[in-house]
Amino acid sequence: MTDIASNAELETPARDIRVVKMRGFGIGERSTVPISIATALVILIAWWAASEAQLVPHLFLPTPKEVFDAALSFWRDGYANATMWEHVSASLIRILSAGAIAIALGVPVGLFMGLSRWAKGVFDTPIEFYWPLPPLAYLPLMIIWLGIGEASKITLLTMAMFAPVAIAAQAGVRSVSLERVNAALSLGANRFQLMRDVVLPSALPEILTGTRIALGVGWSTLVAAELIAATQGIGHFVMSASQFLATDFVFVGIGVIAVCAFAFSFGMRLLERWLVPWKGQS
Amino acid sequence: MLRVDKASVWFGARDGKPVHALDRVSLDIPDGAFVVALGTSGCGKSTLLNAMAGFLPLSSGSITLNGHAVEGPGAERGVVFQKDALLPWKTVAENVALGLKFAGRGRKERRERAIELLRLVGLQEFAGSAPYELSGGMRQRVGIARALAPDPAILLMDEPFGALDSMTREAMQELLVDVWARTGKQIFFITHSIEEALFLGTELIVMSPRPGRIVARFDLDFINRFSRDRDARAVKTAPEFTELRERVRAIVHQDEVYGRAAE
Ligand SMILES: Nc1ncnc2c1ncn2[C@@H]1O[C@H](COP(=O)(O)OP(=O)(O)O)[C@@H](O)[C@H]1O
Ligand SMILES: [Mg+2]
Repeated sequence: MTDIASNAELETPARDIRVVKMRGFGIGERSTVPISIATALVILIAWWAASEAQLVPHLFLPTPKEVFDAALSFWRDGYANATMWEHVSASLIRILSAGAIAIALGVPVGLFMGLSRWAKGVFDTPIEFYWPLPPLAYLPLMIIWLGIGEASKITLLTMAMFAPVAIAAQAGVRSVSLERVNAALSLGANRFQLMRDVVLPSALPEILTGTRIALGVGWSTLVAAELIAATQGIGHFVMSASQFLATDFVFVGIGVIAVCAFAFSFGMRLLERWLVPWKGQS
Repeated sequence: MLRVDKASVWFGARDGKPVHALDRVSLDIPDGAFVVALGTSGCGKSTLLNAMAGFLPLSSGSITLNGHAVEGPGAERGVVFQKDALLPWKTVAENVALGLKFAGRGRKERRERAIELLRLVGLQEFAGSAPYELSGGMRQRVGIARALAPDPAILLMDEPFGALDSMTREAMQELLVDVWARTGKQIFFITHSIEEALFLGTELIVMSPRPGRIVARFDLDFINRFSRDRDARAVKTAPEFTELRERVRAIVHQDEVYGRAAE
């Protein structure tokens, strides 16, 4: 018995070892960031070349330098009687307050819809009806009902953001395993404890995914919301720049929105990692 | 004492023909008893356990625990599942203390009791770990500790060691014998391993499928012999053990043949 072990080469492995792993599928683990950066550079160069060579009329496509100058002037002097920060913060406040309301309403409604046949029957009708509509379609109603102040803007955004949160929370409840629920019940949980300690945390990953989608929807609805007699806001900035055919400023506005939306999405990913570290771990 | 009286279960099936999963099963589990249910897959073992736990209503018959009818899940009946249903967002100690939290106990008491129970299953060092950091056998031990926390009258276990490798499984069997001996709980334990059934129980029921029935009962004493001598190997190789094993095997095997012929 001991012979077998002693005959085996138990000494240190050879120096030139070749580390292996299972052949993969899809994109694997190697980072895609360098590829993405290279793609961005190529697009930038193509843009610069196309605008410098006057391939398209200057009005349609400003040069990168003009856009950069516009950004600088927006940063320094503001635009349309407001500083850049005032525009951005006005929009951020709208999106964040609408998002907070959408989460505060959407999570309980969605959980309730996942648990009760009546709640699902009642809420399904309005949500399924209005959710596919483009916000621009019911924008006039918002103005007529709520006027041209902040209320109508935030309501419009809230409505657009509510549905994805509610639908995700409902799906989250559905995904809770019966075994987990049974385990909690046989440990003596009442309905409230079951919700707080089992259902809500189980549904949390899907609620966070829904929130991420809602924030994306929020940014894409923002321009529509700020069509309503806004004096500040990054969506308003883009709209008014386009009325003056200031394409370079339109580009700047789009860039600012993109940066904000990206930052939100990044923040959500961090939040997810912090709140649901167990995701994918059974 | 848990009493099952002429319990029948019919499941609705997709093809419209109801499945007779349990046919007038009667069973008494006296205080301190360790009853093991053995049978091939599909003979209604889980159905019986789910009814005892209160997860499943009966088509007819009744289940009572100390004279009170079972009408839903409750803390007086602890359940250990085949696949642990631990909550991944809570630490091992918090999982164990979950039943105490539901009962409204204070933080300090929960903590102390959780450590005590983790010590019982030999996992006190892992109190602060996440469940997904543990091996399958360790998770199952956490599941046992968690089920014991609210101090239930009976422990219901549905193939708790079914997913474990044979070495871990034998260690878990010995651990469970100790838990039983120390806590004096009634245990209802499901397995499809004949050896496990004989080793663990004070009483064995053998079930047969289509419809699920109890076809044989045996009183067992190997568990007490192990508690005394601490020698699992001697118990499992004793002539009485191997002889009974073959008898039970014959019954289970016969079922299997009948079961197939009936399909
Ligand atoms: N939810 C269900 N719906 C329909 N039939 C079921 C359901 N659960 C179990 N059965 C049927 O009842 C019988 C007994 O199942 P089960 O109690 O799970 O067996 P065991 O645990 O002994 O393997 C099987 O024939 C199974 O197909
Ligand atoms: Mg089963």
